[in-house]
Amino acid sequence: MIRPLLALLLAATTLRAAETAVFSLKTMTAQMKYDTAELLVQPGQPVQLTFENGDDLPHNLVFCQPGTDTAAMAMKQMENAEAALKRNWLPDDSRIWAHSKMLNPHEKETLNFTAPEKPGTYPYVCTFPGHALTMRGELKVMKAGEGLKDLHFALYLGNWKQLPDFSKLKPHREGKIENNLIEVKLDDYKNEFGVVFTGKLNAPKKGPYRFFISSDDGSRLLIDGKEVVVYDGIHPAGDIKEKSIPLEQGEHEFRLEYFQGGGNIDLYAAWKGSDFQMTPLSKWLHPNWKGGTKKQKEFDPIPLAVTTEPVIYRNFIQGAGNRGIGVGYPGGINLAWSAESMNLALIWRGAFIDASKHWNSRGGGHQPPLGYDVLQPTGEVTPAFFVTDKPDAAWPTWDKTKRYDGFEWKGYSLDAKRSPTFRYTWQNAEIEESFAVEGNGNKPDGNAKLIRTIKVSGKLPPNAWYRLASGQFESKDGSFLIKGVKPYLITTAGVQMAGANLVIPAKPGTMAITYQWIQ
Amino acid sequence: MKRLFLFLALCAPIYAADPVEADFYKITTFETPKETALEVGSIDLLPDGKLIMGTRRGEIWIVSGAGSSDTSNVSYKLFASGLHEVLGIAYNPKDKNIYATTRYEITRLKDVDGDGRADVFDNFCDHWGVSGDYHEYAIGSHFDKAGDLWVTLCLTGSFNSNAEFRGWALRIKPDGKMVPTCSGIRSPGGLGFDADGETYYCDNQGPWHGSCTLQHLVPGSFQGHPGGNIWYDKAPNMGPRPIDPLPEAFSNGRNRKDKTPHVDPDRMVTERERIKQLLPPAVYLVHGKIGNSASAIICDLSAGKFGPFSKQLFVADQSHSNLSRVFLETVNGIKQGVVIPFRSGFASGLIGGRMDEEGRVFVGGSDRGWGARGGKPFCFEKCEWTGKTPFEVHEMHAKPDGFELTFTQPIDSTTAGDVKSYSMREFTYAYREEYGGDEVSEIIPQITAAKVAADGKSVRLTISPLTKGHIHELHLDGVKNAEGQALLHKVGYYTLNEIPTK
Repeated sequence: MIRPLLALLLAATTLRAAETAVFSLKTMTAQMKYDTAELLVQPGQPVQLTFENGDDLPHNLVFCQPGTDTAAMAMKQMENAEAALKRNWLPDDSRIWAHSKMLNPHEKETLNFTAPEKPGTYPYVCTFPGHALTMRGELKVMKAGEGLKDLHFALYLGNWKQLPDFSKLKPHREGKIENNLIEVKLDDYKNEFGVVFTGKLNAPKKGPYRFFISSDDGSRLLIDGKEVVVYDGIHPAGDIKEKSIPLEQGEHEFRLEYFQGGGNIDLYAAWKGSDFQMTPLSKWLHPNWKGGTKKQKEFDPIPLAVTTEPVIYRNFIQGAGNRGIGVGYPGGINLAWSAESMNLALIWRGAFIDASKHWNSRGGGHQPPLGYDVLQPTGEVTPAFFVTDKPDAAWPTWDKTKRYDGFEWKGYSLDAKRSPTFRYTWQNAEIEESFAVEGNGNKPDGNAKLIRTIKVSGKLPPNAWYRLASGQFESKDGSFLIKGVKPYLITTAGVQMAGANLVIPAKPGTMAITYQWIQ
Repeated sequence: MKRLFLFLALCAPIYAADPVEADFYKITTFETPKETALEVGSIDLLPDGKLIMGTRRGEIWIVSGAGSSDTSNVSYKLFASGLHEVLGIAYNPKDKNIYATTRYEITRLKDVDGDGRADVFDNFCDHWGVSGDYHEYAIGSHFDKAGDLWVTLCLTGSFNSNAEFRGWALRIKPDGKMVPTCSGIRSPGGLGFDADGETYYCDNQGPWHGSCTLQHLVPGSFQGHPGGNIWYDKAPNMGPRPIDPLPEAFSNGRNRKDKTPHVDPDRMVTERERIKQLLPPAVYLVHGKIGNSASAIICDLSAGKFGPFSKQLFVADQSHSNLSRVFLETVNGIKQGVVIPFRSGFASGLIGGRMDEEGRVFVGGSDRGWGARGGKPFCFEKCEWTGKTPFEVHEMHAKPDGFELTFTQPIDSTTAGDVKSYSMREFTYAYREEYGGDEVSEIIPQITAAKVAADGKSVRLTISPLTKGHIHELHLDGVKNAEGQALLHKVGYYTLNEIPTK
């Protein structure tokens, strides 16, 4: 017979708060992103941050006061580029309170600073020209919540598949946990037992509080004798179960029930209030707990490099349906064509696409564009051509279970520069669409353009329309400004505003449309 | 003199090392292009001794010199890229174009300007659905004898068909017209043809499949998984939708009146009586023993250049990184036969494969998503006969009261004629909705006679009982050839869909 024993570990929650927060943050290769979207610290906490530039361009890391428009701050440097260059692209701005050097590719720097005393969200950004739009994140300063008090455990022995009614069982052993941190620490046995942890938890004010648990095997959390969240049964600590409940100000009875069948032993509990961050109540931290840092990625990125000729990527592209054809053109301008709607689905600039989602593991999921300023001119996977006597009315919308009637996908041909011309038929007409790029999509100078040429031959039905864009527009110097988060210009002959649609009466011949980023 | 010969014969097995697979079939691993992960998904032959390969990363490569005995002669040229997982590739000698089967389309690729890179990508056929689920693979074939291409479409996940014709085998005619051909597909792994040009595919263990299988794609047939049968109204050529098999014969109080009480109702052999379109797997590729994830089907049409197994099939496995050998026969109009281990030790999970006219088997694949015994993330390899003939069971034929075995070498009539040299167990799998399944309904039959033919090349086993629908697992531990050597592979699994009457 093996005698069970619970051993205890000393390390108070209050001690944790004073510890230095140690982080590492990297730039991702060819993605114009940091690998960490969020850092979480406590007010006045010492921070040690190792910043590593894994990219092939120079980058820095600049921390600003809450509410700073970091993109505008970085852009403002261009007004006096020569002076900015002398400062190595670090803006002369009083809102900056900590920063790294401008690191060359594959350099590393360790920053030591103290987190601000004032709780809030402090943005961080790379201020090298053109990087601030996507290379950014947030340092969140929030105090930690209080830990448990007067924590006791009761150990029960038994072989269960689900949590038993512990109130009807006799504890095998009971005791006090001096460090008030939930932990199942076992020296010489590992299977077939249960533990009930009881203690007091102080709610600093009346309001909602969110509780989190995870365990291997089952667990259940009760506050003031009422079940809050349960994760019963035999299972690994895969999920974190959570629930928010209202609490009155003051002390509450905390009870966490746990049982172990066999295999791994894990138990995690945490809580979060409206003015304090996620605070663990257990020694063990679940790998997915939302404290500390938030990483950006699942797999190491596989960005597809576009160098001298267009690169094609057919796969599940987010926003381009299930028959998406991505094309990255030299010069940082990209598009996704849909072989489902026979239409331009997306346009974006900067980097083309990251293949890591599809080229790792089983390759599931839809991959969003890798660059920025992603435009979806006419909505999700909708056709350009439509027969209607009311061009201001709604266009057909995507039904994932069906193909659009009247359209037939024919394929694409590459020209001498290996730029594709997409071919399809609609009704009795044959259509070819080709694209050219002008300017540099990586430069926010208002000169980056995508020029779309549509050749229609054959017979079109009466009342056939071709839609270029939908949304809110205004006429501007012979073009149309498409408003929205990413405003852009459309220029073409014969275009009309029809309600929320920008349309051209469709007829055989050639149309040319220019899409232009205004900055 | 006679005594001396006997002495030597007895000594031979003691002094010679036991033969191993590599003595007979050599595997050569090729270096692959540094700039990519060559996750081979499909291979076909080009007319000038070159190969064309499609990959999971959507590239198409032309390979030269892979047939050469000097591996430094191999070279690669990228023909096309950016396609959505090329799990079928076919060279068409009539129009000299390449046909690539991808997720949602068969693309016809042409090199119009002759620079060695494709510049026209025509949609040859895209008349099937894709819902965006990773599981919805499309596996394509080479051209069949009628000039058609075949496509098998994986279900959406393991149970459902959320997009048109998911869970079907389709034929694409030379003009691009699509013909729904078989229903009942679950998770196909490969498509291929036998020496007569009949079409087969491999399915994977899962719902309605206790094990991986090799299945005969007879037009009009239902291959067993009812998940895709919702599309029968879009396939009028297929006739009425088959009645559904019972999801679990004994669940929910279901209890079908059973005329043969000794046979459980959730069996393929029972449901065949009820569902007239249901075609049983030709061969169960016994789960965990033969493989775990069956893929490419390769027929030996080299007329002896790949050794003694002319016209037999070789089935690759992604998980076990191996090739197994299948001998098929037709009994009462149904294909059935035996699977025997053949060659293990490939470097990664095998997916695509093709034999050339010189009897060289080119294979490749990747372990991505499921893992493989080989250990490498991807590979491109060649398997060749060394010229030495292994001592193997050559063919296994069902007889009304047993089996007839032929061998690759003359047999020792003493051991081969002794019933104690053999053992057999019979089992099957439940035919049910639940994922996978155990070997069930085990029967240990009596081997009552082992009669060696006068020519010393075959044995006739008498078995009692033979069980229709069961896999007959035969061990031949005691059988020796005339030199006293044991078989290289001492086990075979025969799927007895039908018991012949003569």
